[in-house]
Amino acid sequence: MSVVVEGARKEFRARRGARVMALDGVDLEAKPGELLVIVGPSGSGKSTLLRVIAGLEPLDAGRVLIDDRDVTGVPAGRRDVALVFQEAALFPHLGVAANIGIGERARGTRRRDVESRVREVARVLDIEPLLTRMPTELSGGERQRVALARAMIRSPRVCLLDEPLASVDTELRLRMRGEIRAVQRSLGVPMVHVTHDQVEAMAMGDRVAVMAQGRVLQCDIPAEVYARPATTAVARTFGPLPMNLLPAVDGVVTGVRPERVRVNRSGAGRAGTVAAVEPAGEECLVRVDDVLARVPMADAPHPGEQVVVTWRPEDEHHFDAETGARR
Amino acid sequence: MRRWPLAAPYLAGSALLVLVPLGLAAALAFTDYFGFRAPEFTGADNLTRLAADGTFWDAVGISAFVAAVVVPLRLLLAVGAALLLARRRGARTAVGRAAAYLPSVIPDAAWALLWLWILNPLYGPLPALLGVLGVPDPGFLTTPWGARLGLVLVMTFQVGEAFVVALAARLAIPARLHEAIEVEGGSPWFAMTRVTLPLMAPIVLVLAVRDMVVVVQNAFVPTLLVTDGGPANATLTAPLLIYRRAFEYGELGYASTLSVTLLVLTGIAAALPLWLAARLAAHQRART
Repeated sequence: MSVVVEGARKEFRARRGARVMALDGVDLEAKPGELLVIVGPSGSGKSTLLRVIAGLEPLDAGRVLIDDRDVTGVPAGRRDVALVFQEAALFPHLGVAANIGIGERARGTRRRDVESRVREVARVLDIEPLLTRMPTELSGGERQRVALARAMIRSPRVCLLDEPLASVDTELRLRMRGEIRAVQRSLGVPMVHVTHDQVEAMAMGDRVAVMAQGRVLQCDIPAEVYARPATTAVARTFGPLPMNLLPAVDGVVTGVRPERVRVNRSGAGRAGTVAAVEPAGEECLVRVDDVLARVPMADAPHPGEQVVVTWRPEDEHHFDAETGARR
Repeated sequence: MRRWPLAAPYLAGSALLVLVPLGLAAALAFTDYFGFRAPEFTGADNLTRLAADGTFWDAVGISAFVAAVVVPLRLLLAVGAALLLARRRGARTAVGRAAAYLPSVIPDAAWALLWLWILNPLYGPLPALLGVLGVPDPGFLTTPWGARLGLVLVMTFQVGEAFVVALAARLAIPARLHEAIEVEGGSPWFAMTRVTLPLMAPIVLVLAVRDMVVVVQNAFVPTLLVTDGGPANATLTAPLLIYRRAFEYGELGYASTLSVTLLVLTGIAAALPLWLAARLAAHQRART
């Protein structure tokens, strides 16, 4: 079971006539059993891509294949796709059990059969006590679990998640990452997960597709995207901290991760003044002129201090100043 | 800061225009009053007369019939138009929305006179159209049931306000709920009956209560201008009867009795949809 998107193009006309390329030639594949995370800033086209796969948005050009079958013209309801919405999209007038079972009811399954399926899925996700409640009586995390149950109940060919953890608090988000992974493994189907959270993308994805302005800039395993970003845009956006990109010299932009920058009181390197120091637990973020560095709290300099920043030559990344592409 | 003074204009207005007249009417209901002499207290005499007043109960029956037919039709039209015209923006939707609202802009009297022409047996376009189609003419202004049908037609199409409210209720439903049903493979019928209408239900309920009151009251203008209560009192609705008692026979005391009775009956009838809705909501919550 797999999902393939080929040459996807989608143009929106904004209110005042301006055209926006939501998808500008996107090629992407989610392999069988894979969790593919699509990450990018808002307006990058990642949600549109998800809606295109679900069949909620028609393409201007290109095609979508699910299990090697061209479903480009197939309506959403016959693609056998499960979609978990941001904010869960629970039906406020229905109880939790009815919310989980509504898809089965929509497809014409008998009420009694749906009830036993609902109990089964609720047991797996450990939300049985919630079944008799109304959506307004649930916390953010519980709502998302119910939404996951609704996706699981149909054994879909593909599972799509649209920022499911955006409205969940930090502690629960950590736990739910694991739950989503578990659901995905138990379903054994490709899961496409859209998020703007870089950390979440790194933590969860088997592979990560970084999107900006309607294009996929890079698609690879998270470690590789982090170690070898394909463009300056990926370098700036992917990872816990944006990569330092130094002014171009002879058409080449040099980049270095803040984690690899060392701040010394003396010695060789770029001399500069400490502009700001932000404590971040065991470590702190130090801005020296235009270079960001992450150093142990014990070595933290004071704002205004004269320091020297250095890094090893092998920690440097080089990009073309014109195109932004990696060299 | 105490906030109740902000409600003072409203309280003063409703006291002067609603509560005081209502209290006076309730008081007059127990008197003999023709407008020339001071009201004369007569105890339960008016109620005794009311109980035996066949004309009034017939009129209540006609009002109930009109409301029972017209209110569902009006809600169907208003909600149906709202569902059809909710989708996308564009010229066609704009024209459709304007057309749905337009009948409500026309003053009631002008609307009634327009229908007097439409239904006219001699040169009215509707009887003529029915003749062309080979449908027998029910005699819109000439037979009892034809006149009642005519009254229903006059009262059905002025649903602009209800349409606007229903449209707002429809547009308040988040699009992702419908998309969720779409992805799950639910039919449009399933989406409408299990999602759209249940979520609009509280608003439709308010519209039903309001419409019931409005229809009973508003039957006055068309019955006065189009059918004049006839033929043979077939469209003599309760408000028209009360009007005649008060201002043609001058029996202001007894007319007050009838008014207050109609108010109580309308109140009981308006509670019906509320009760029904509570049952439906409970049923909806309980099942899978």
